[in-house]
Amino acid sequence: MEHHNDYHFSFFRPTTPNARRNRNIIVQFFLIWAVSIFGFQILLKVLEKPTPEASYFVYKEYWAETEKDKPDTGALRALGHTVLSVLGKMDIQPEYRDALDNGLSWITWSIADSTQREVLMEKVREFEAITAATDNIMAPSYLAKKEEVASLLAIILKLGPQDIRRDISPLSIHSYDFEEFGQEPREKLTQAMDLYLIHNQSILTDFSFLGFPFHYFYTAVFLLILFVGLCLLYCIRTDMFHRKYGIAD
Amino acid sequence: MKKVLFPLFLLSLPLLANAATASPQLEGSFKVGPAIILIAVLVLFIVVGIVFRARDTTDFYAAGRGISRVGSGMAIASNWMSAASFLGMAALMYGSGYHGLAYVIGWTGGYVLLLILMAGQIRRYGKYTAADFIGDRYYSSGMRAFGAVFAILISIAYCVGQFGGIGLMFKWVMGMNYTWSVIIGGGVVLFYTLISGMLGATKNMQIQYIIIILSFLIPLFVLTAKFDYLWVVPQIGYGSTVSDIVNGLPVNQAEELRNSLGHQFAIVPSPEFAMPWDPPTGMTFFQWVAIAFSLMIGTAGLPHVIQRFYVVPKARDARWSVVWGLFFICILYWSAPAYAAFGKILSAHPEVGKLAKDAIVVYTAQLGDVHPLIVGFLAAGAVSAAFSTVSGLLVAGSSAFAHDLYVKVINPAASPKVQLRMARAATILMSVIVTFLALQNFALIGQLVAVAFSLAGCTIFPLFLLGIWWSGSNKQGAIAGLATGGLVAGIAITYFVAGKSGLQLPYHHFVSYWLEAWYFAWIGAPLAILVNIIVSRFTKETPVEIRKFLVEEVHSL
Repeated sequence: MEHHNDYHFSFFRPTTPNARRNRNIIVQFFLIWAVSIFGFQILLKVLEKPTPEASYFVYKEYWAETEKDKPDTGALRALGHTVLSVLGKMDIQPEYRDALDNGLSWITWSIADSTQREVLMEKVREFEAITAATDNIMAPSYLAKKEEVASLLAIILKLGPQDIRRDISPLSIHSYDFEEFGQEPREKLTQAMDLYLIHNQSILTDFSFLGFPFHYFYTAVFLLILFVGLCLLYCIRTDMFHRKYGIAD
Repeated sequence: MKKVLFPLFLLSLPLLANAATASPQLEGSFKVGPAIILIAVLVLFIVVGIVFRARDTTDFYAAGRGISRVGSGMAIASNWMSAASFLGMAALMYGSGYHGLAYVIGWTGGYVLLLILMAGQIRRYGKYTAADFIGDRYYSSGMRAFGAVFAILISIAYCVGQFGGIGLMFKWVMGMNYTWSVIIGGGVVLFYTLISGMLGATKNMQIQYIIIILSFLIPLFVLTAKFDYLWVVPQIGYGSTVSDIVNGLPVNQAEELRNSLGHQFAIVPSPEFAMPWDPPTGMTFFQWVAIAFSLMIGTAGLPHVIQRFYVVPKARDARWSVVWGLFFICILYWSAPAYAAFGKILSAHPEVGKLAKDAIVVYTAQLGDVHPLIVGFLAAGAVSAAFSTVSGLLVAGSSAFAHDLYVKVINPAASPKVQLRMARAATILMSVIVTFLALQNFALIGQLVAVAFSLAGCTIFPLFLLGIWWSGSNKQGAIAGLATGGLVAGIAITYFVAGKSGLQLPYHHFVSYWLEAWYFAWIGAPLAILVNIIVSRFTKETPVEIRKFLVEEVHSL
């Protein structure tokens, strides 16, 4: 028997009422799928606003002090804290890390008085020597020397015992960086602050749901639940559709 | 089977006990416990393969078409969950935060497309391989050959990341360098594939799924409990970790908690981990969307995934097996981001140094002071995930060569013995090529696997989509579409390899950004579809018998 349409078939031009119903089911599920994935990401993009971290405002307020002949020590100390806030992040590009290390070392040296400078130079050089000599970060001699430097830096930079930056500060202080903070590292440091302390945030990222930032929960958890749910519903609906219209499988 | 495994278990007990007391170290030494667990798991797969081996050709290619929906779902999940899922996803999120979620969404959302657009129809069409379908639907042995060639290329691209993952885990277990780990790991997986092949493949896949998922979840329960979050559902419990990373975790809130290197669980505020396309990650909104889209259509175009729908008895079973398969897959995909978040806090201290991102799942468990044997089981799970996928892909690739190319195109008179010899030769050759490529260390595992998805999305996906849903798509249109998709893929991969080799081709930055190797399908697939439609419109229409088959058999509503 010849088909009325000479067996021409396409998704957009179904040849039977049942094929049309089936097409409509597919279109519905496809739209839910597409809007839930890409619609949400577009919404995130539309609503996003570059939002600085608290440290960024401190950095902006006090950065000019570094250009002065006699900078204010309080301002430099606050700057040191912001530099450490960036150094505590992971995956800092090496070029920026070098500039940040240089900046922190110079700031620390600038704040320290002459007595502190003498001790600082001695302790940091000893720590550099032991760091070069061992790979074992759990060795007692390494830990003891690191703690000596950390204690001294905590006094100079006024870092409390509960401040995580106290623990990481010895790793970014270098004796060769104390007295020189040139134009190039200065520029790199300002670029690093702009890059690492400003983030794309919005109302969707700022409120939390089940402990997650909402947008993260939506993408990492909810969308996967939705995918399984869509597949389940599609199968149930297709089964019902086939039963209702007596379509053989 | 019990007779074989029980003495092995008894023999290994003293060594396992010794391994359990070993001091924690991230790299460097031969790890006895994990090595024994790894060997035991591989022996188990071979034994299961022999017990449930295929008995004839139908059994070999399509597992007798007697697999239940849940069983088929587990097989789909096991086949799917490779080193990219097990190791690669956490690595991508660990390295680039929210950007990595594009891979999670891409590798799961594609199943919705696959279900609503293809699963039932593919089963109704009733072929054995993707090349079979292409050759038949486009009434061309040439197209069958090209389909087979692309299936082989996709298998090779997919395997490169897997070999990288196997190499990393062998490196971790054996304490040797990466090059030797890849060569030895590649040799073991080749040996495993040659002796087990598709023997009992579907049954093996179900067992592999259980081992993979248990090995992934057990350390996660332990880690979530250590972090003092909701350990019963770690997939939700880790949410607070993400917020802690964003807002910072002060020392006084985690004073008693230390990683295995003695560092406190503390981190400075790091919103870049969770904020979308954050500048420090170097990733953009376009890249997020392009990756998710390319992976989704790639999912619906992967030959070894499509092939799974031929092993179920009916189209309805094909649909339901997707539901089960996706559910089983999502159990792992809900969990992988948790490893990235825990890993971020556990390795936040600069002293931990740069860790190989692709091994972050294992390092996270180690840094979290999880029992060494559980970490060993985790590493064995990673190798199992890679092995199950690699052996499936090598068999699919070698079948495409022996069945679709050699017998159907080159030498139709070949005896089964010659066919088997060709399949084995193809398996060995593919392994050698994959080992060579894996040693180049081009990119992260997840990114390397994404290349295979983009390739499938540009080439196989358009042929299936139009082949099923438009009777007007003809041989000429298919050839033109495939050539277009292949050209886009060729340009993208050429620029990628040149870039990695230090060569700067013209418009390097432009092409590298818009046609990056892991998302070129965002434009390649639509172009291939468009060209297919245009050429089909202006050339001789599809023969009536094909159109009749599509209307009466595939869309008989």
